[in-house]
Amino acid sequence: MLRALLHYFAIGAVLFVAKVAIGGGDGNRPEVTVVMPAGASGADIEKETRNQILLNEARRYGWYRTDPIVFTHLVRNMRFIDPQTTDDDATLFEQALAMNMQEHDPVVRARLLYRAREALGFVPEDRMPTKAELEQHRTEHPDRFEREGKVRFEHVFLSGTRRGESLGADGAQMRDTLEARGKAPPTGLGDPLPGLRAVQSTTVSDVENNYGKELAAVVDEGIIGMWRGPLPSVYGLHFVRVLEKAPPALPPLSAIEAEVRADYLTEVRKRLSDERMNALRDAYVVQVETVQ
Amino acid sequence: MTRSLWLTACLATLSLGLVGCGDDTSGTGATGGAGGGGGSFPPDEVGRCADTDPLRQPFFGDTHVHTVLSLDANLQGTRPGPNDAYAFAQGEPIGVQPYDEDGNPLRTATPTRSIDFVMLSDHAEYLGTIAACNNPDNPAYDRPADTSARPDDLGCVEYREELEGGDLNVFRRLNALTALTPENTRYPALCGDPNGGAGDCLQAGIDVWQEVQDAAEAAYDRTDACEFASFVGYEWSAGPGTVNLHRNVMFRSEVVPELPISYFDEPYVEDLWAGLNGDCNESGTGCEAIAIPHNSNLAAGTFFDDVDKDGNPFDSEYAQLRHDLEPIIEVFQHKGASECFPGESISDELCGFEVLPYPNLANTNLQLFANPGPRDFVRSAFGEGMLLEESLGVNPFQHGVISATDTHIAAPGYDDERTFLGHGGAGQANRDFVPEGFPDIQYLNPGGPAGVWAEENSRPAIFEAFKRRETFATSGPHIVPRVFGGFGLPSDLCDSPDFAATGYELGVPMGGELRDAPDGEAPKFVVSARQDPMSAPLQRIQIIKGWLDGEDYQVEVFDVAGDANNGATVDLETCEPQGQGAADLCAFWEDPSFDPAQRAYYYVRVIENPTCRWSALQCVEANYDCDNPTRQIDFDCCDATAGLNVDFCDDVAAELSERGAACCRKDNPESILDVDFCEQVANTLSEDEGACCLPRLETSIQERAWTSPIWYQPDR
Repeated sequence: MLRALLHYFAIGAVLFVAKVAIGGGDGNRPEVTVVMPAGASGADIEKETRNQILLNEARRYGWYRTDPIVFTHLVRNMRFIDPQTTDDDATLFEQALAMNMQEHDPVVRARLLYRAREALGFVPEDRMPTKAELEQHRTEHPDRFEREGKVRFEHVFLSGTRRGESLGADGAQMRDTLEARGKAPPTGLGDPLPGLRAVQSTTVSDVENNYGKELAAVVDEGIIGMWRGPLPSVYGLHFVRVLEKAPPALPPLSAIEAEVRADYLTEVRKRLSDERMNALRDAYVVQVETVQ
Repeated sequence: MTRSLWLTACLATLSLGLVGCGDDTSGTGATGGAGGGGGSFPPDEVGRCADTDPLRQPFFGDTHVHTVLSLDANLQGTRPGPNDAYAFAQGEPIGVQPYDEDGNPLRTATPTRSIDFVMLSDHAEYLGTIAACNNPDNPAYDRPADTSARPDDLGCVEYREELEGGDLNVFRRLNALTALTPENTRYPALCGDPNGGAGDCLQAGIDVWQEVQDAAEAAYDRTDACEFASFVGYEWSAGPGTVNLHRNVMFRSEVVPELPISYFDEPYVEDLWAGLNGDCNESGTGCEAIAIPHNSNLAAGTFFDDVDKDGNPFDSEYAQLRHDLEPIIEVFQHKGASECFPGESISDELCGFEVLPYPNLANTNLQLFANPGPRDFVRSAFGEGMLLEESLGVNPFQHGVISATDTHIAAPGYDDERTFLGHGGAGQANRDFVPEGFPDIQYLNPGGPAGVWAEENSRPAIFEAFKRRETFATSGPHIVPRVFGGFGLPSDLCDSPDFAATGYELGVPMGGELRDAPDGEAPKFVVSARQDPMSAPLQRIQIIKGWLDGEDYQVEVFDVAGDANNGATVDLETCEPQGQGAADLCAFWEDPSFDPAQRAYYYVRVIENPTCRWSALQCVEANYDCDNPTRQIDFDCCDATAGLNVDFCDDVAAELSERGAACCRKDNPESILDVDFCEQVANTLSEDEGACCLPRLETSIQERAWTSPIWYQPDR
């Protein structure tokens, strides 16, 4: 995501870090004043404090002047205030800034905070994972990378549209036929339906999406070698015989390295964001004012 | 320095062991992608998935998706990036603008189901342009413009100064470059070379392009589970005069060119194709690409022009290139249907479905009504293509069909009428505020999926399905159609469990070609379809036949299964469907008027029972009130164009001439046929009355699926 941001806007991530590093003593420390209503909780005060710090950083880098979304929004505000104005966009923007509109507008604040948070998550090259770290990440979070177990089963279908009122009787007859055939495959039995295959290997989720919960539940039970049915779906009646049921499997790193890397980096970004935010918090001098 | 020269120079630099462009060391110009992943992969060939079937399975995907990486989506407030988009496709909810201060989205899109494959298609233009000016390490960063060559252009210094000064016209100026004519379009001068080069922007774009590849690799399931397939791709966004000539470029594998080809690099489509062949298909690297055209409905009649970039009529080479590189076209998406013109001379009442009353991109953005024309539609191109084939020996418009969303909120497969939040892009951005009325321009729609019949859910299997056109489109629901055509198909195939095996053995599937009619025998077709279990039952199946009759092309529509008069309807008070339909349909059909000497095509259209359109659904859910409208949704729903409060429109029509009344009758959604005239009529009336005469939204729709045509080629 950092590249996405780099893509369109100047980024202050490195600058954030640099600012923190050069913070030095209190005399050089940046300051913010947080105005809160009386009775605000400590958590609310801390949240607003952190927002004000990020907004101040955005202000220090002039983002409110260079961000296209801030610009168009403030111009829109000005045109809303005075629909008859003949001033051009740039003039209206300056007027909005002169009114300090950017400090209070929730859309502008949200935009600048977004940019600031994205910048906090910048991942430098030296934080990129090694293969060993990826392997560790994979084994520590198997639930994130497991593949759903597959069920291989035989499938016979009777179309409700085609058979109409005889569907029930045809279903009973098909059940007898299947039982009589024993272990023989159901070759040549049933009706065609686009995408329905005589033998398929699929997930229980796919079965549910295609044919509904009843069929999925039976397939999920995974009783091997027994014809089950008739089972209703929106299409008609189904008979299934499970041949094999495989449990969920965690693929080796070689097969999912890019996926693991993406997941790992998401965590790194979160960690770096927290670390940098805390560093910024420590660097700032914060005044809290209370209003009634 | 042009893109190709720049790439050549980069490679030369690399060969000298110097730091050059990107990390590629292949020496080919094509890369192995997945920069973060190590770049070594097990073979990815058809047959590697545990569930592979030579008789093929249906898969659904979306090959037209924009994320934060697209300039327009970005400026509309879209924040999700490529990884988020892939997660959405696999069932994860996604944040949708606007966002609050804490970075929380005020709206959330939740997929109603996952889809099987996705290609992200962020605009190739500007992938690196802005990055160049914002990266102090880029040579362009400190360079002022050379205004001696282009007085109106920007260097990065001026670019940033203008931004500092609040002149966001810079963004409009950048965007406008894609709407310049081909001979005038160019990279912004801020890319470094005032004479049209772009090396610095190209350099900056490498990182972004790598991000696209990395995300695709992270999402692609290379295990034998084959749960999800991703494709590397981009959109070539040619819009001369705001006419849409866009193409999505789709790569078969992780082997892709060093950079995308943008409109600035190659402003003519034949040069895009040549570039794809040079950089990819004929590069010897294993790279393979196709281009997917879309939105012929917004090209003001130019999409299927039969002249090349120099104004000369197509020659065989051109036709062959187009035929080979553009096997598929989007027939339906967010920005309207491109199947058929509602005013065709033949009787096809279903052609009015989701046709936009706008002829180009600018009109859509500005919501300025104007007439579409018959040449904007794919059915017309199918006819023109057969005509061209007569003289050139190859049909340049022999397309298969898919649908797409063209989402600009990074939500692939988000095509359910019931949950539509708008897609941005050409529509309504909703960047700053939660919309109080409709969340998108009311004439736009959620789009639909690309359907394929493939052996398995892997890149090579799906890519090959695209190439052989074994694809289908739907307007959203996952209807599954299947068709085989042939001369020896048995008439009882609908009853056979060996439907597919026999179909492939004795015929060809959708997208295929029939030749050599034995003894002039008419071709037979076996067509079946099943409904989406999450949507309405099917009403009927149609076969649309088009054929070449001398210098004219003709069309006829046949109902071959189901019942157009099944009585099914929808209650517009509640949006509850009423009446019966079919869960599946199947029919055997033989062309009753076949002439073995005439070129022909046959495609299938599967029609659902009526359901509420998204706009009507949102009105019903909001419990709109036309007697006391106070909310924006009341005004939106009660506007006569919305079709929900139009009883008085018949009275309005009664006072008008016959032609004027045709615009304003409430049962005439095809007022789109004569938009200009109808707008004139509307202007003679009061605002409320005039709304009756503007292009009318359909309140209920019949969702549908279209298959790629089967083409008949006479033996010459």
